[in-house]
Amino acid sequence: MRKVDFTYNKTDNQSDIVTAIKANDNSVLKSIYTTNYHKIEVLVLKNNGTKDHAKDIYQDAFLAVWKNVKQDKFTPQSESAIHGYLYTIAKNKWMDYLRSKDYKKTIVSDQINDFNATVTDSEATDDDILKEHRLQGVMQAFKDLGEPCKSLLKQFYFDKKSMKDIANELQLDAASTRNKKYRCMQKLREIALKIEK
Amino acid sequence: MNPNTNISQELLETVDRYINETMSIDELETFENKLKNDSAFKTQVDDIKTLLLGIESQSLKEELENFHNEIPQNLVEKKSAKVRFLQFRKIAVAASLVIALGSFWFFNQNSNDKLFANYFSPDPGLATTMGENSNYEFYDAMVNYKQGDYNTAISKWQQLQSIKPENDTLNYFLGVAHLANSNENKAIIHLEKTTMQAKSAFINEAYYYLGLAYLKTNNLQLAKKNLTFSTIENSKALLSELND
Repeated sequence: MRKVDFTYNKTDNQSDIVTAIKANDNSVLKSIYTTNYHKIEVLVLKNNGTKDHAKDIYQDAFLAVWKNVKQDKFTPQSESAIHGYLYTIAKNKWMDYLRSKDYKKTIVSDQINDFNATVTDSEATDDDILKEHRLQGVMQAFKDLGEPCKSLLKQFYFDKKSMKDIANELQLDAASTRNKKYRCMQKLREIALKIEK
Repeated sequence: MNPNTNISQELLETVDRYINETMSIDELETFENKLKNDSAFKTQVDDIKTLLLGIESQSLKEELENFHNEIPQNLVEKKSAKVRFLQFRKIAVAASLVIALGSFWFFNQNSNDKLFANYFSPDPGLATTMGENSNYEFYDAMVNYKQGDYNTAISKWQQLQSIKPENDTLNYFLGVAHLANSNENKAIIHLEKTTMQAKSAFINEAYYYLGLAYLKTNNLQLAKKNLTFSTIENSKALLSELND
């Protein structure tokens, strides 16, 4: 038997892909993203949309899939389950858009064809809407957060770099780096609170 | 979010530990109890979680722009457009040149080279699987290797090997990749390192490729010596041809 000596605890495909997504593994996320885009582009272009629409709707859907896997709301049994799920969410989002007031203002509804599916995004409760609103606020705040705070927080929370590595890069000791990270969080929170108001 | 309460550094780092699952069992129990029974505490923790999710979501959103640029664009169209520029006559001339040079090379190579060519085929490589970060780089290079892009594979593996200079797996694949890339001397250095580790899973393959590498450099003595250490069928067959 051949073995690679830096093996990890590999259980099965399912947890592999979930683990990779939860760890924000760049190559896995990129591969899922690039594999599925064309199908959505074809769908949107066939249904009164443009390439820009396709990209927006697809990125929204991709973020939703990532978030649901992360929060264990969706546990894919295989990689192809993710592909199917991503397609369904993107398709629903595009349908929602076509039904929305924004769209109907400009287009008569009988031009909307090819859609038979009736599944809509899971029914959102007030609580969900509030949570989503808060999340959008933090995202906007993080977008506006200046450097070096943005990089520091991204490295720790998104790239999952260790505190030690970040401290080394910044040429700081561990305690100062942790304090810096804390102050960056406070700054982010302040901006988010202003946006929420 | 609740603007009236302040979040302490200690609480932030506690939530970090909770999310990274690095709490001790005792700490986890205390923490979860407090979440259940102290609603003010729960609100604070939820606020922190929202901040963390927001950081990750926005980071990913910004990353998606990079992903988008890497979507392969209509490969087929580009290919057919290119072929049209090449004229048939040019292709024919090029083909006959290739044949002529090829046969010249074939009839002129010495017997060691011929044996090498008969016996050498690159290791098929390991199945590429989804894994964690350090493995990713390894398997990422494995994909290049399998596509025959040995230069890229070598440079990626080389970086990993600089961290783990004695790793038998890395040295083995670096060796085979160099050999496939007609760089026997470098192949020998890496394969020797693998054979230093008697317990390596690649030991038999490593001796075999090491034998081949020495054969390519016309060092028959070392070629034979290394081939005898390998239990692979091909190794025995090549050895008997060399002894004939």
